[in-house]
Amino acid sequence: MLRMPEPNQNTLARRKDIIAAMRDIVPATGGVIVDEDQLRPYECDGLMAYRQLPMIVVLPENTGQVAAILKYCHENKVRIVPRGAGTGLSGGALPMADAITISMMKFNRVLEIDWDNRAAVVQPGVTNLGITRAVEHKGFYYAPDPSSQIACSIGGNIAENSGGVHCLKYGLTTNNVLGVEMVTIEGEILRVGGKGLDQAGYDLLGLITGSEGLLGIVTEVTVRILRKPETARALLLGFNSSEEGGKCVAAIIAAGIIPGGLEMMDAPAIKATEDFVHAGYPLDVEALLLVELDGPQVEVDYLIDRVGKIATDCGAIYSRISENEEERLLFWSGRKNAFPAIGRISPDYMCMDGTIPRGRLAEVLTGMQELSKRHGLGVANVFHAGDGNLHPLIMFDANKAGDLEKAEAFGADILKLCVEVGGVLSGEHGIGVEKRDLMGEMFTQDDMMHQERIKMAFDEDQLLNPGKVFPTLHGCGELKTLHAKAVADKFPDIPRF
Amino acid sequence: MAEILTPTTPEQLRDAVGWALGSRTPLEIIGSGSKRAYGHAVKTNAVLDCSKLSGILFYEPEELVISAHAGTPLADIKAALAEKNQQFHFEPGNFPELLGSGNAPDAGTIGGLVACNLAGPRRIKVGSARDHLLGFQAVSGRAEDFKSGGRVMKNVTGFDLSKLMSGSFGTLGVMHTVTLKVMPCDEQSATVIVACDDPKKAGKAMTAAMGCENEVSGAAWISAADIAGLEIPVASEFGSGLVVLRVEGPKPSVAWRAEALCKALASFGETHELADSYSHRVWQYVADARPFVETSGGASLLWRVSVPPAIGGDVCAQLQDVTGGRAMMDWAGGLIWLALDDADAMANRIREIAEMAGGQANLVRAPERVRETVPVFHPESPALARINAKIKENFDPEGILNPGRLMPGTQIAEGA
Repeated sequence: MLRMPEPNQNTLARRKDIIAAMRDIVPATGGVIVDEDQLRPYECDGLMAYRQLPMIVVLPENTGQVAAILKYCHENKVRIVPRGAGTGLSGGALPMADAITISMMKFNRVLEIDWDNRAAVVQPGVTNLGITRAVEHKGFYYAPDPSSQIACSIGGNIAENSGGVHCLKYGLTTNNVLGVEMVTIEGEILRVGGKGLDQAGYDLLGLITGSEGLLGIVTEVTVRILRKPETARALLLGFNSSEEGGKCVAAIIAAGIIPGGLEMMDAPAIKATEDFVHAGYPLDVEALLLVELDGPQVEVDYLIDRVGKIATDCGAIYSRISENEEERLLFWSGRKNAFPAIGRISPDYMCMDGTIPRGRLAEVLTGMQELSKRHGLGVANVFHAGDGNLHPLIMFDANKAGDLEKAEAFGADILKLCVEVGGVLSGEHGIGVEKRDLMGEMFTQDDMMHQERIKMAFDEDQLLNPGKVFPTLHGCGELKTLHAKAVADKFPDIPRF
Repeated sequence: MAEILTPTTPEQLRDAVGWALGSRTPLEIIGSGSKRAYGHAVKTNAVLDCSKLSGILFYEPEELVISAHAGTPLADIKAALAEKNQQFHFEPGNFPELLGSGNAPDAGTIGGLVACNLAGPRRIKVGSARDHLLGFQAVSGRAEDFKSGGRVMKNVTGFDLSKLMSGSFGTLGVMHTVTLKVMPCDEQSATVIVACDDPKKAGKAMTAAMGCENEVSGAAWISAADIAGLEIPVASEFGSGLVVLRVEGPKPSVAWRAEALCKALASFGETHELADSYSHRVWQYVADARPFVETSGGASLLWRVSVPPAIGGDVCAQLQDVTGGRAMMDWAGGLIWLALDDADAMANRIREIAEMAGGQANLVRAPERVRETVPVFHPESPALARINAKIKENFDPEGILNPGRLMPGTQIAEGA
């Protein structure tokens, strides 16, 4: 079971003082939440298996308030859990009993659209889709599109380095963010990056993106916006096996074609979604590919034709091309509703998020079937085939004694399998608390301690989001100590001149 | 006498750094040395030569991934990619001639490319080396092995140290293995040229081009004085400076977009579409900053000013006025190369102009005596500098890795 750092009794004893201090900083009505019934909505994020009431919740309205809160917490050694829209799937915003949850959802304004530099400056509580909404009237959009995009905040996207279904061609959050304003735990306001393409010093912007709220609180975000492609069309391609589907993906890419979207579903996922949304998916195939080409009409028509031919050569037994926008959206509706579709046929499901080298897909799916038998739970797979990001959906019943534990064990085994074949624990959901204790599967102690040294450079007292990402927190002293084994007295026995 | 350590395995690399740590000997870390003149000289007698940590570990074209030891010559890697019609999408330039260190094509090592975070004209569309580094393995200044990332495109497992290592100039760790994303070469490339002498107007033309839906993957301005170097007759016939705009992709798409671009830019000046081979020549010229290669053996001072792209034209004009220097713009105005004939680097003035525009300026080329007094890299804000210094101290507590390379007079280890 998940272990979080012990609550600091000293902090809990000072709760009243802390509330008073927070009310001084954020005087607005509802700016400081202290009553249990009002704290309840904050007890978990999108990873609902873990819940904990926060000590209090504070909703600052401007950067100055965030700076004052952090300064107070730093001086008084109070822990902080930053929170965006609370849609995260790895428990990154799981509260702590002795920590202030800082909700950034009052930072909800679009500050500037700089059309000439193709950049949007927004507050972190603006939703991912909200950015696109603010720029689409001039034919622009924001590329990363996690499936929660209607609700998730751009600040949360920065924290998790969120992906979506267009990453192979357009990159993740980290490739689309130009700059941030961030408040450090000392209450200092940093500006990192900007509308230019270079930044002085080390790439702190790259470090901050995906740091899961462990390094600071982002109070402003500058992202790149792109011209919306003139058109997009999609193909549905059915195969007798996942292996054949995988080979088709490889063949498309080997032909030099980088589709905007490239998704795969296995038979259980196809059946569940077709029963749910009736997208017209074929039910007699073992793997279904959804390939989307975007760009100028002439390019899309040309590439659709080429992909169709490649698919035939790869043994596709089903092929359908979207003839209009409505049909394209219908194709996507199945894929986009895969999670709720599984929710319909199973009382509960757990969504995993490993990434694997694409070529190992068939092997991983086979391994997963074996694990499914061993753990006695069903699994359906949706796969961002273009970039290797796999979302196995483990079906279980939380009301059945022991089922959740079985699902967790099954999920851990799947992720270990991903790492074994050269993949990683998380493609886009983040580590949070969910995969924290699996970090050792991928990283050595030294690897993790080097990551923790970044944490130490930003937050020596480990007040920001403790208990997340790292399975064990090393003290600063330990991280600073030089290991005797590494230091050599003798000149090394290597070629020299 | 200079001590040169040449590890051939990651274990030997760790031993070498361990020795340097134990004896507190600062190390200058080099690959092939092709960019050694970029940055400040590392004042030490001990060189860690990584060029023998060499070899491609795997290259899987269908997976769009290549992994190699850091000392692998870029020429080897590019040859392997070319065989499968693939490339690094960020099209790093080739700088030995620019920096006065030979004239090899595809010079340098893959590790050096990452450590300097190189990026060519396509940066406006696909980013720089940091956006393509999927993972690395290294030895830190603590003489400990560490790694981050992996070999897959989508990965948010732990802090993204790949970004940190890109552009860190070997000051945090010595990479021995890097894994990068590669992309297919485009079926076709076409370049639209637009007659334009005025950098301000050129900036506006590039902004207009980037704002339309033709997916421009390169936008640069070359002044009239530097057009001859392209050796493209039709370009020379224009008799003026040129805005050059590139579109790439499948053939029918390129043809359609190039034509659309010609129409869209017609109001800025006479336009013309260059065919495939000329198009490649233009962008190699821009990526390598060929106009600033000194053929006569001189070495004028060369600045690289980075600003928000849309303001680049104005900044370029101002820099030319103030310094009397010669300029070229890339990244749709986001990058201004500026060569000064005078011995005075004019650092304060140039940096002031860059900062006013929300940008920064690095001194790419200057005699060592100039670099002894003028910081090569644009100084960070004090707040960022404090964090960067802590990161450096945590990764390299004794300051043995490339001390002083980024900033003269700092991070110098004692001893030896």
